[in-house]
Amino acid sequence: MSPLVQGAITIFVGVFGCVGYFYAANLLLDKVIYPAKGPNIGRNINRANAIRPWLFLLPAILALSIYLVYPVIGSLIRSMYNRAGNEFIGLGNYTSLAGDPEFQTALINNALWALVVPAAATFFGLVVAQLTDRLSWGNIAKSLIFMPMAISFVGASLIWKFVYAGDPDIGIINAIRDGMGLDPLDPLQLPFWNNFFLMVILVWIQTGFAMVILSAALRGVPEDTIEAAIIDGAGPFRVFFRIKVPQIMGTIVVVWTTITILVLKVFDIVYTMTGGNFGTEILPSYMMSFMFRDDGRATAVAVVIMIVVLPVMIWNIRQAQKEMR
Amino acid sequence: MFPTPIQKRSEAVRVTYQVFLPIALILWLLPLIAVASFSIRPLTDFTQGNFWGWPSSFNLFTNYGRVFFESDMPRYMLNSLMITIPTVVGAVALSCMTGFALGIYRFKGNLLIFFMFIAGNFVPFQILMVPVRDLTVSLNLYDTKLGLVLFHIAFQTGFCTLFMRNFIKALPVELIEAARVEGVAEWRIFWFVVLPLMRPAIAALAVLIFTFIWNDYFWAIVLTQGPEAQPVTAGITSFNSQFVAQYHLMSAGSIVAAIPPVAMFFAMQKHFIAGLTLGAVK
Repeated sequence: MSPLVQGAITIFVGVFGCVGYFYAANLLLDKVIYPAKGPNIGRNINRANAIRPWLFLLPAILALSIYLVYPVIGSLIRSMYNRAGNEFIGLGNYTSLAGDPEFQTALINNALWALVVPAAATFFGLVVAQLTDRLSWGNIAKSLIFMPMAISFVGASLIWKFVYAGDPDIGIINAIRDGMGLDPLDPLQLPFWNNFFLMVILVWIQTGFAMVILSAALRGVPEDTIEAAIIDGAGPFRVFFRIKVPQIMGTIVVVWTTITILVLKVFDIVYTMTGGNFGTEILPSYMMSFMFRDDGRATAVAVVIMIVVLPVMIWNIRQAQKEMR
Repeated sequence: MFPTPIQKRSEAVRVTYQVFLPIALILWLLPLIAVASFSIRPLTDFTQGNFWGWPSSFNLFTNYGRVFFESDMPRYMLNSLMITIPTVVGAVALSCMTGFALGIYRFKGNLLIFFMFIAGNFVPFQILMVPVRDLTVSLNLYDTKLGLVLFHIAFQTGFCTLFMRNFIKALPVELIEAARVEGVAEWRIFWFVVLPLMRPAIAALAVLIFTFIWNDYFWAIVLTQGPEAQPVTAGITSFNSQFVAQYHLMSAGSIVAAIPPVAMFFAMQKHFIAGLTLGAVK
């Protein structure tokens, strides 16, 4: 039971540390440093109020500098050193990456992933959201479709291993091939197409996410616009594509970019399914092949991933900025 | 009601709907159904090739019993719990404070800090791997649960702050101003006025972070090594190498590993979906 007690103590200390910090810091500010009395009362209150937000922010900023800002800078620097980390080699790691055919495969595959998965997941999510919208048992159907989202990528991969297994007796795909009189094959070793088999897993997981967000958006489409379209004689397809979809375009874009960013980071599926073999390497899994072997190259790959994500990130901040005005 | 409810459409449309949707649903869940059915079969079913037929006997308790008593699975589950729960508590507590500061106060640098949190949210975790691992090693926290918890709290704070700030921003400002006019101290405003209003956001965020952390695999393999500290996502792969080709146990293990977040999702579905919607749209 000792680990449980330990855990409980950690939580207790953590929470009360937070509350205590927060209470004590405010008290100190209001009573000791800038007390709201005496000859300088006005100036003191103003100063205390200028400092207060930073009291709330301090713990988080501290945590983020240690675990986020410092590592990003550290990685940038580390990627310019050799394997042992004692010799500066400039862009050496990057040039040797560029010459590695494995890296080029990973780059191409990653581009495929980033195009196919968000598109497919958003499309399926939209279709499912629309089809289940006005169904009596629609909510149950939605919960079931959403369920894979709660399973970890590793867990989902292990489950899908049973779908793709090379043995016709276990693998669902090969069971179907067997039923049609075809020879069993290992779907994960089919060049080029195996990438898509792996993408299916992520689409399977992310469709639920897209569906949930888009179905909320679809509910928000004003009824009178749909009514007007139907009175004007539009069929269900035209109502869907011409009336509903344009009105939720903003949400579709958000869902699309969220999934895109996720795709650029997910390594679990490739790592557990094929280990990057058979031409299925993507950048995040390619990086894992250098883990514990060559930190210089590993960080260089990480920087490349960062550069790929950067445009999406900047676009998102711009978007947030626009909303604020 | 517009458009016509599906029940009032023509017969053909209705039948297609009622027939195809369940079929599509079963296909969608087929991988899960298959694994669930594998997990209650005896091993002889697999050696005799009876994968899809009716199980020759139902070994629900033997199979799951072996997962729980003959492997490190309970250990991994406990580790996952002890990593996930402190992280949820810590990240939510921290982000309530930062969210409050960014949502309520107007001060120089407010927007800048906020954008930094957004940016931090999008940073691919790969770029943190080597320095964070070295840092954890040098703090003597490598292969400990505390090492994982500390990192997770720090990294999740970015997303949580974003979430909380947007929620607090939508609260009525008049409430806080009224309290200020009454001369209520700022920390009391936070504690007695804003925090109670944040309850739905806290619930949604807690459920969301719980699944995020429970399902994390990357940091589990970067920062931990053995059954001492590894959470279940990393443990399941060692579990599978312990029971190679024993498909019934491998399936049972996968199910056991997936149950907590799935149960969490079904129990707290409303909060989970509210969290995702709030986190994504704003």
